[in-house]
Amino acid sequence: MEVLALLWNGIVAASDPAILMCTLLGAVVGLLIGALPGLGPTAGVAIMLPIAAGFGGIAAIACLGGVYYGSMFGGAITSILLGIPGDAPSVMTVVDGYPMAQKGEAGRALGMSVFGSFVGGVLGILGLVAISVPVSQFALAFGPTEMTAMMCFALSLLSVLGGRNAIKGFVALAIGFWLGTVGLDPIAGSTRYTFGSVDLFDGLDFSIIAVGLFGLTAIFTTLEVSVDKPLARYSFRSLMPRFSDAILSRWQLAQGSVVGFFIGVLPGVGATAATMLSYAIAKRTSRNPDAYGTGIVQGVAAPEAANNSASYGSMIPLFSLGIPGSATTAVMMGGLLMVGLQPGPLLFATNPDFVWSVFGSFAIGNLALVFLTLALTPLLASALFVSTALLYPIVIAIVVFGVYAIDYSLSSVMLTIIAGAIGVVLLKLDYPAVPLILGLVLGPLLERNIRRTMISSQGDLSVFIERPIALVLFIATIVVLLVPVALHFLGKRKIAADEAEI
Amino acid sequence: MTKTASTSFGRLRTAGVALFATAALAAAPAAAEYPERDIQMIIPFGAGGGSDTLARTIAEVIAELDLLPVNILPENRPGGSGAVGYSTVAKETADPYFIATVSVSFFTTPLLGGSPVSYRDFTPLASIAQSPYIMVAPAAAGYETLDDLKTAGRLTTGTVGVVSDAALLAKLTSNALGVQIDAIPFDGEGEVLAALLGGHVNVGYMNPSEAMSQIQAGTLRPLAISSAERSPAFPDVPTFLELGHDQIVHTQLRGLVMPAGVPAEVVTYWEGILQQVATSDAWKTKYIDRFHDIPDFTDAAGFAEAIATTNARYETLMKELGIIE
Repeated sequence: MEVLALLWNGIVAASDPAILMCTLLGAVVGLLIGALPGLGPTAGVAIMLPIAAGFGGIAAIACLGGVYYGSMFGGAITSILLGIPGDAPSVMTVVDGYPMAQKGEAGRALGMSVFGSFVGGVLGILGLVAISVPVSQFALAFGPTEMTAMMCFALSLLSVLGGRNAIKGFVALAIGFWLGTVGLDPIAGSTRYTFGSVDLFDGLDFSIIAVGLFGLTAIFTTLEVSVDKPLARYSFRSLMPRFSDAILSRWQLAQGSVVGFFIGVLPGVGATAATMLSYAIAKRTSRNPDAYGTGIVQGVAAPEAANNSASYGSMIPLFSLGIPGSATTAVMMGGLLMVGLQPGPLLFATNPDFVWSVFGSFAIGNLALVFLTLALTPLLASALFVSTALLYPIVIAIVVFGVYAIDYSLSSVMLTIIAGAIGVVLLKLDYPAVPLILGLVLGPLLERNIRRTMISSQGDLSVFIERPIALVLFIATIVVLLVPVALHFLGKRKIAADEAEI
Repeated sequence: MTKTASTSFGRLRTAGVALFATAALAAAPAAAEYPERDIQMIIPFGAGGGSDTLARTIAEVIAELDLLPVNILPENRPGGSGAVGYSTVAKETADPYFIATVSVSFFTTPLLGGSPVSYRDFTPLASIAQSPYIMVAPAAAGYETLDDLKTAGRLTTGTVGVVSDAALLAKLTSNALGVQIDAIPFDGEGEVLAALLGGHVNVGYMNPSEAMSQIQAGTLRPLAISSAERSPAFPDVPTFLELGHDQIVHTQLRGLVMPAGVPAEVVTYWEGILQQVATSDAWKTKYIDRFHDIPDFTDAAGFAEAIATTNARYETLMKELGIIE
């Protein structure tokens, strides 16, 4: 309870008008940047860094934090309304959010994303303040060997996302893995599949590919249908969030928050992987897995809770150990240095007031975003009343701008358009897009960690079973893979993986 | 006669000087009033990173001390591991209105074949600080001194990217101590630090600012520093040199470059400005004290030499690792 008292003091300190203004500024900027396709939290925090540094001290970090979790709220907006992931961690929100919008339930889906973000945020903040020390030690126990096992376990759970044709799902996953190898070989230093192009040297940014594959594909395919087709049944009710949905999705919210938090803590894994995992778990544990992907609130709840709580989880190594575990927290660490603080294990001990005030600002910002986004929901949802003939050209312009703004590169814009075109081909041939993104996100993580382990062990494979955490995760992987097979042979219910459609 | 001749010669010379002076006057604005417009400072990396902070701090200090009659406009041009930003500067041949800071990628990306421009396409101006590396081991590992490492049969270290200063120093330490040190590439300083604190790698080569807080907290123990002399920020950490390893001296030079072919007067002009920056209090409080680098001014000639040496070191390392031929 002592931590709650400290957090309360922090909230009081962060209610200082100047700090409050900076927190809200950060949250609103984050909301906009999150909603803008292409630009995500890392770019957002980086853009605000020089401005925020001018605020000094607590206000600066409160502002940067606001951008970070604000973008987690904002990412869902375009994902739901247009099927275009606003940033990488909201890719999974497209899967159920967009079908909901098409069914005329945009307000419901947006409302659910707000509730999900809020619950994930609250649980994430509580985790951050209450258990950051033991959790950071847990994160340190994950070396390359454990990460490899973790990725295998994640992939075994994620096999449920493969779509109704397992072979096509695996083909899409393999394409994703292959695309993940483009660029500079991270371990050996040679270039792979760059065809001599400087633009491909750093590899393919999966947020760029995701914007094309989901968003532009959705727009391109509408070229086939008449634009005068009524989009959805418009009713005032469709614009409003439903509070009962939060009760309905309570398990998915809790599960998403916990999974997001712990995956977020692991250095180098990130919020996107957390959303994929929490979605897969929600689907696997559901009594009616086939409903996932058709537009249900639970499918929005799990990933939205996960990405918000992952953002707080990823701040644990930063604040308690001085380790920036993700690109976004690395930029935030730059912010800490710029306001004259030394991030490290002693930060809590030497600057307790600072740390608790910043955490207090997170709580305030999270609450403020709930009211802000809920108030905006009817307005945003009515964007769907606009004719696609008007809406889509605007959206394409915004997409091009957002992707260009990532690193001011026209080749990124070209890549998005190519990804959109490939997405149309995949859709026509009935290959699911989700496994491709999955491969692109997890493939590089898996490859790097296997190769790091092999350098470390000098090629000895037995390390994978000698280390206890890795061993447990590998056993869990085998169980996850074998249980459906066993159930199948026992003649019990058919498993979701073969049946469900994304 | 002689006198007249000499007088007339003198007059002629005076006329010549006058003529020259007129010519010089006409040409003068280019040299004397060198910066006529704002100078673009290209940062080849994203906002918030080490290179970004360095470049912006230099621009800030120059503005604060009012050393230039014009502004410096910092601009981030990330992409291609620095290739995009550095190419932007290099292609403005002889244009003294483009400036950039050097970084590890300044050398390694071209060597890896990822950039159309290399260090030869730039004019070095001066360097204003040195960033040493501190070799550390987790306190829990029980290594007290550099020599203690000799007892280990084999060690691992983390590096950011395949070719980095940490990989280079690991190779040098390995040769010097006669212990195998394998470098494992990670994706960021944070991941390396996590691997080190979690005991997944045995030793690390850290930047001063990262090492400082961990050493103060007692989680990491410093073994040696890679500069030629001890760093004022780490007075108790011995140099590799002191410990008898004279081949291990390698620091990152914090310096500025312009496109190839800028006039010599511009280089001299910038040497003057950067010397004032390097010796200013503003630079000390805003950069040196914050990031624990070693204050040091190196002129254009010395900096050029250091750039060539550094490039040769990376090239040798890549050949030894079999990355390039």
